Amino acid sequence: MNLLKKNNSQKDINLKHLTTSSTNSLPQKINPFNIRILTRDFFSNPLDTTLTVALIFISILGSVNILEWLIYKANWNIVTKNINLFIVGSYPKEYSWRPISWLLIILIISITTLYTNLFKSRRYLIWIIIIPLGIYLHSGGLGLKPLPTDIWGGLSLTLILTLSSGAIAFPLGILLALGKQSEITLVRFVCKIYIEVIRSLPLIAVLFFGQLLIPLFLPMEVEINRVSRAVLAFAIFAASYIAEDIRGGLQAIPKTQCEAAEALGLSKRQIFFQILLPQSIRTALPSLTNQAIGLLQNTSLMAILGLVELLGISRSLLANPEFIGLYLETYVWLAFIYWIICSIMSLLAKKLENELRINQAKE
Amino acid sequence: METIITASKLSKSYSLGVKALNEVDLSVFSGEVVVLMGPSGSGKSTLIRTFNGLENIDTGELEVLGVRLGSFATEKNILRVRKKVGMVFQQFNLFPHLSILENVTLAQIKVQKVNKEKAEAKAMNLLKKMGIVEQANKYPNQLSGGQQQRVAIVRALALEPTLMLFDEPTSALDPERIKEVLDAMRDLAKQGMTMVVVTHEIGFAREVADRVVFMDKGKIIEESDPKSFFTAAKEERSRKFLNQMMQ
Ligand SMILES: Nc1ncnc2c1ncn2[C@@H]1O[C@H](COP(=O)(O)OP(=O)(O)OP(=O)(O)O)[C@@H](O)[C@H]1O
Ligand SMILES: [Mg+2]
Repeated sequence: MNLLKKNNSQKDINLKHLTTSSTNSLPQKINPFNIRILTRDFFSNPLDTTLTVALIFISILGSVNILEWLIYKANWNIVTKNINLFIVGSYPKEYSWRPISWLLIILIISITTLYTNLFKSRRYLIWIIIIPLGIYLHSGGLGLKPLPTDIWGGLSLTLILTLSSGAIAFPLGILLALGKQSEITLVRFVCKIYIEVIRSLPLIAVLFFGQLLIPLFLPMEVEINRVSRAVLAFAIFAASYIAEDIRGGLQAIPKTQCEAAEALGLSKRQIFFQILLPQSIRTALPSLTNQAIGLLQNTSLMAILGLVELLGISRSLLANPEFIGLYLETYVWLAFIYWIICSIMSLLAKKLENELRINQAKE
Repeated sequence: METIITASKLSKSYSLGVKALNEVDLSVFSGEVVVLMGPSGSGKSTLIRTFNGLENIDTGELEVLGVRLGSFATEKNILRVRKKVGMVFQQFNLFPHLSILENVTLAQIKVQKVNKEKAEAKAMNLLKKMGIVEQANKYPNQLSGGQQQRVAIVRALALEPTLMLFDEPTSALDPERIKEVLDAMRDLAKQGMTMVVVTHEIGFAREVADRVVFMDKGKIIEESDPKSFFTAAKEERSRKFLNQMMQ
């Protein structure tokens, strides 16, 4: 107990140290293997040394225990026996090449985007095409056998939900941000209300409303499946946050940018799309990345509404008597998958950020 | 001589009471270089910005290049004027997310609908004349202030304007950078460009201007040729201003 307290205070001290030194010399990266800093920060007096040694001891002990559990104690049957379910849900075996090849394509494109300069000028187009391609491969038609959405599931459903709702939410968010600056009072009012209302609702409520309300707004003949309803609800939700991010970016642009563009004879629409939007997206990029990662993680809420995406499929597996009680294994495995996808997403975002490096003067 | 700008009795106030422009009459003729001078807040920027519709006027008549820009100027008329009028600002106002080349070609491509190759060829040609062609693929924040301002001039010139407006183009520059921008403007004047220039550079005004217009409190106080303005200004207020400038 005592030891724990001391450890905490030790951490505090180190944190303080790190923050002060990093504000003093911001561009300087601290090399963790610099012996002098190591001695200064962790072995400066007997107490420090004792604490450091104790901490190292505890970490090693912990890691050994965790490793032991991962390798010997955990029962990974639930994962190995159901790997198909985790990846494509209950998609029939003879057709599962369709979602699987889609996932592979995404992986390949992510890797080429990250580590090569292949198709550099067409990249945005490729990333946009991925979404209809995924929907086509999953639902079939046009030569592929049509399959209903109820059998979609697992990782591929998670990605479909994330990518398609993101693809709708992004332009919708831009439109809302634009509408909020409109000269027409009604447009401005509607956009403001939309953003305020949606932002004041918890996502789960929007999802419930989506499942129940969206069918009411559509004519009787149009039957809209649960996946589309979920995608729409997510998009409606995310758009209001994206709109605020973009608006923040717009506000950061000096008015003189507009004047310069006006003086060149650009029309209002051209000014928005050529000057304001690109600059505001650059500024908003870090928060947009957060939105994207949030969207991915939030798709797990659809498990409550009965979709068998990653979390949903895990829950239904855990309900199976054969795998009863394997909670830890399942959730560790889930965390691992989410971690991989989120890492890829943030790497991609970082890459984009670098490519669009903000060339704004840094006074 | 062809008239480029005819302004009569232009008035404008931002808030009630303070008149940024107070019944201003001014004509600018083709090929002329007119320098606007006056103390801070005298309405120089406001006046020059009405000439391309960045600022609208409350009352008065304004015709630029044969297009009426009165208080009820239509969007279409304003765009028509802007296509023929280039403007250079104190703060350069280059687009930070576009390369120098893209800065110069954007309006050519989007407004004049010139194809990309042609626009780029023209941009490179102008950048070369301005001595900054090596910077074409850099971004604005990688350039010095003087270089940025020359890019801003090239960006305006690429649209082949009939009239160029300069609002204190050298005021944000380090002293050693001022000359390169003034030289570019001097060349432009030599080529016969019609220019309206707000500046406090007396040397430039003396040498290049055909006419100096002195403003104070939204009014034109005095209009003379530079020689008589700088040696024997008629008005008390002009002399006072010049005295302050010389110190
Ligand atoms: N956007 C604005 N809103 C309110 N008042 C303004 C605005 N712009 C200018 N003014 C006022 O109008 C008057 C004229 O301003 P203007 O900018 O035209 O002067 P200026 O001669 O260009 O001055 P400077 O040499 O400082 O640039 C000033 O009293 C100024 O305070
Ligand atoms: Mg001014």
